[in-house]
Amino acid sequence: MRKLFSYLKPYRKECVLGPLLKLAEATLELFVPLIVAAVIDRGIGGSDNGYIMRMSLLLAGLGLLGLVFSVTAQYFSARAAVGFVTRLRHALYAQVQRFPYATLDRIGIPTLITRMSSDMNQVQTGLNLTLRLLLRSPFVVFGAMVMAFTIDTTAALWFVAAIPVLALVVFGVMLLTMPMYKRVQERLDKVLAITRENLNGVRVLRAFRKEEAECRSFETQNEVLTAAQQRVGRVSSLMNPLTYIIVNLAVILLIRTGAIRVNAGILTQGAVVALYNYMSQILVELIKLANLIINITKSLACGKRIQNILDISDEERVHAELPGGDPALRVEFDHAALRYQGAAGEALEQVTLRVRPGQVIGVIGGTGSGKSSFVNLIPRFYEATSGRVLVDGIDVRAMEPAALRQKIGVVPQKAVLFKGTIRENLLWGAPGRDGALPSALPVSDEALMEAVRAAQALEVVAAKGGLDGEIEQFGRNLSGGQRQRLTIARALVRKPEILILDDSSSALDFATDAALRKALRALDYSPTIFFVAQRTSAVRHADQIVVLDEGKLVGLGTHEQLLETCPVYREIHESQFRKEAAV
Amino acid sequence: MKQGSKIQDPGSGRSAAPAARRNGGTMKRVLKALRPYRWLILLSILFSAATVALTLYIPVLVGRAIDHILGPRQVDFDAVWKLLLTIALFAVLTALVQWLVSVINNRVTYDVVRDVRNRAFRHLQRLPLSYLDKQSVGSIVSQIITDVDQFADGLLLGFTQLFTGIVTILGTLGFMLSIKPLIALIVIVLTPLSFVVAKFIASHTHSYFLEQSKTRAEQTAFVDELLGSQKVVKAFGREGRSVADFDAINGRLEKTSLKAIFFSSLTNPCTRFVNSVVYAAVVLTGALLCVSTAGTTAAFTVGSLSALLAYANQYTKPFNEISGVVTEFQNALACAGRIFALMDEPAETPDHCHSDRSEESAARACDTTAGGRQAAAGDGGADSSTPLRAAQNDSTGSSSIRGEVSLDDVSFSYDKSKSLIEKLSITAQPGQRIAIVGPTGCGKTTLINLLMRFYDVDGGAIRVDGTDIRDMTRAALRSGYGMVLQDTWLRSGTIRENLTLGKPDATDAEVEAACRAAHAHSFIRLLPQGYDTYISEDGGMLSQGQKQLLCIARIMLCLPPMLILDEATSSIDTRTEIKIQKAFANMMQGRTSFIVAHRLSTIREADVILVMKDGRVIEVGNHDSLLAAGGFYANLYNSQFSN
Repeated sequence: MRKLFSYLKPYRKECVLGPLLKLAEATLELFVPLIVAAVIDRGIGGSDNGYIMRMSLLLAGLGLLGLVFSVTAQYFSARAAVGFVTRLRHALYAQVQRFPYATLDRIGIPTLITRMSSDMNQVQTGLNLTLRLLLRSPFVVFGAMVMAFTIDTTAALWFVAAIPVLALVVFGVMLLTMPMYKRVQERLDKVLAITRENLNGVRVLRAFRKEEAECRSFETQNEVLTAAQQRVGRVSSLMNPLTYIIVNLAVILLIRTGAIRVNAGILTQGAVVALYNYMSQILVELIKLANLIINITKSLACGKRIQNILDISDEERVHAELPGGDPALRVEFDHAALRYQGAAGEALEQVTLRVRPGQVIGVIGGTGSGKSSFVNLIPRFYEATSGRVLVDGIDVRAMEPAALRQKIGVVPQKAVLFKGTIRENLLWGAPGRDGALPSALPVSDEALMEAVRAAQALEVVAAKGGLDGEIEQFGRNLSGGQRQRLTIARALVRKPEILILDDSSSALDFATDAALRKALRALDYSPTIFFVAQRTSAVRHADQIVVLDEGKLVGLGTHEQLLETCPVYREIHESQFRKEAAV
Repeated sequence: MKQGSKIQDPGSGRSAAPAARRNGGTMKRVLKALRPYRWLILLSILFSAATVALTLYIPVLVGRAIDHILGPRQVDFDAVWKLLLTIALFAVLTALVQWLVSVINNRVTYDVVRDVRNRAFRHLQRLPLSYLDKQSVGSIVSQIITDVDQFADGLLLGFTQLFTGIVTILGTLGFMLSIKPLIALIVIVLTPLSFVVAKFIASHTHSYFLEQSKTRAEQTAFVDELLGSQKVVKAFGREGRSVADFDAINGRLEKTSLKAIFFSSLTNPCTRFVNSVVYAAVVLTGALLCVSTAGTTAAFTVGSLSALLAYANQYTKPFNEISGVVTEFQNALACAGRIFALMDEPAETPDHCHSDRSEESAARACDTTAGGRQAAAGDGGADSSTPLRAAQNDSTGSSSIRGEVSLDDVSFSYDKSKSLIEKLSITAQPGQRIAIVGPTGCGKTTLINLLMRFYDVDGGAIRVDGTDIRDMTRAALRSGYGMVLQDTWLRSGTIRENLTLGKPDATDAEVEAACRAAHAHSFIRLLPQGYDTYISEDGGMLSQGQKQLLCIARIMLCLPPMLILDEATSSIDTRTEIKIQKAFANMMQGRTSFIVAHRLSTIREADVILVMKDGRVIEVGNHDSLLAAGGFYANLYNSQFSN
């Protein structure tokens, strides 16, 4: 947890002052029984009304001073907790930005989102409460003991005896319940997962008439959760009754000792009342402590989850020393192979390919043949596990990732847009180095519309009322085909040297698809294009066609060459053009 | 707790006006949900009262014991011993009752929460897709998980603190009055000051809290969207910009959070200050009374003073807590209101409701009463525990379906002000393959919603084998269809669990045969644990095409008489697709299929091709006849080869 706490450093002052002021306030509270004892012994005993009034005023004064201390303490602890979590959130978010695709795959996005939101909130609450209260309770308990010693050493020994027993109960219950709370949280996660899944798959589940089965599995998980909650509830509700018995036992012994010593003339009646009051204060503090401990236990668990992500050191390192290749080639695959983490086999085996600037490369192959894996190596979304990939004669691992991706326009298989206007979405593709705010180079509306036109998205933009048309989260207010065309336009805005289309016209009808291909080939900056496609018609005019089959490169050449030499390509082609061949 | 009337009161739910139910009714419905536990709650209340009485009585005993310890050689040991023994007995008894109270409260709270969740989830299964499609998954999940949790927290707190707090206040008041009415009066008059202070602070911090939760929601939405598409962020090199945007929201959140947390945390110190003033006042008046009444018969003793001081402390403490508890409890009621609102959403029209349908208006009437009845069932509870549509997993009914599907003058639209499908008529003979093509937004996917009866038609009728599908149970209708959608959905679980979704009792051999036919066997075999490989909900490392193959295998295992394929093969290469179609053709001999696709290789061999545009069928025919006609279809087709 050390890394986590390093974000607390700027708030060192607050972290010290907050609890200190809280302790000062608690100290004031400890004087209260002493004053009451003085009132009883000197005020009542001596029938001194003036003294009683002065002491009562002192009590109210102490209350006021306590108010000032505690308000200041609240401010410091709130500032430290909020500031700490703000920094931590930034750190976690920035950390995630550094992760390569492989790390994102391994961790999973949903859990990152929970850690970013609910775990952070719990840590903030926990830290705030800790700064405010954690030191206070033990301080009051031990303070009460010390004060008891100032009254009478023999009677105070009962405090010495009671406190370890109380600690045993408090920490015992805490240790017992900590893993139980974790289990409750895990089971709640399961109930949540079932509900989410049920809603996401509602059409399929209803088509399979799974409603009753879903209810039953929900009820089963829910029952497991309820049982876990009740179990932890039964144990944690032992804390208060047990401490109650112990404290009252101590009170009995205290009064017994007090009675003997008062009888012997060693103690006064007021002193006995004070001792009793100190013991009562301990009881009150213990009840507060019990609630606090539950909260801290939860926060520690959440803090650990955040720490786990911060501890991941994966990032895209630049290896400038790697040797280069032929600078005349735009893209070169040199025996590049890829194996995903935890996968049984290689997704891509030893591919070698040389691409000159302006060439159009078709990538074709069966389902799961490694087409996406192949193109994902170019922008270094994944690193080749053996061999290498070069862009403009430089190993992609020797380049700053942002600089590399600056050259490339990517249209991913899954068309994702963001909440905002169409213009804002298109400007994602604007040229400009990472971190430039906003995009370093202004992009004119004409330039945006040029990209929109090439992407066959003019009617999409028109349907939404122009570039200022609003797009909802995830592009929900657009159809699949409309989303795809806008993502293509987005990739064209930067006029990339390399354009990668990963099966990104699957939702387009043939006419649009054909027009798109024509427009892309006619672009005046003639980018090098990688076309991942299912249909041979989409790649037949490519300069080179890469044919993949179960991760292996089984054919490379033009459409005509491959029809001659590559059985897999021929099969794919014939599956689409059977009838025409027969006519 | 009112009792007497039976749990099931069919009249109450229907007659209650919805508005009244929403506002004042939430508390009533919470009480209704608690009704099965009324004896336990009564026990809890009795025990809490006992605990409070016992806790309050112990200081009296201690005070009396102290009164017997006056000074040197003025100690009545016999009396002290006796009192101490009594204290010990009472302490043990108190602890025991205290523990029982928490156990009962835990039990009631978590059981009620479980019941509410189960009922809400069950209701979810009956909600029409027209409702679910409009809600975000996140908001419904948060109703069932977060809101119910908050409700539980509030309920538990209400049980443990609100009730004992009130009893403590009343109890201490009684004891104080019995000891010294004058001092009790001072306490009574001064303590509500802390309420006033708390209220003042709460009303002033409320706006900060609202702003905090608004900013927090904004940040969550941002994180959800941007981290959710982190790969795109990286692809466009937007990491720096993304962090900067995040920081802007983060900075605003810091400011509003600090305000909200600091100002709300003022409540406690302020009320504590009020308490110390009260305490000082009791010391002052008590001590002065001791002095003035010393030696008289009505002497106010030091023991009584110490007891009164203990009471003053105990009396003020619940006030601090209650001010917190009340907000918590209000929040809990608000959450309960949201859950009840979900449960009030009218459910789907019950099956067979239309059997005596003579005209359209009858259908409407039926729909509304059904909604009312569902809501009533949600209220009462007992009804909703009966299994949903007992026959729904019974697929025996499907074998009798021949597969003749006809749409008769069907009209439908999602947004009733904009027409979508109008007067659409289609007939599919058993065993025919019907392909539906057309531009985006022409109503292809809507047609599937209607065929599966995810939505009911607005006008006209859809018939299967001549029977209006509204006169069949949804289970019987849906068991006749096998459906593969463009948006592949796999559940978290093993590959095998996913495949046997429609046929849980399938043997390993059957599963493998289906997978071979769907050309999924070869890649499944290569997964780390083969058929037992665990996949997450989004399919993990599987490619889009592989996910589609799994969905197809899932259908092939069930062999339904009718098929709906909505872009089911869009991410599968054409070579595999043709092999799958062959397998389909063999297995689906005599089965009707509806195929939505834009890939010509997928639709070329259909018996009937329907070309749709703007909710209407503009051309009907087979591939050759449509090409010859030279219309919309021919244009689409030729565009594929014009370069």
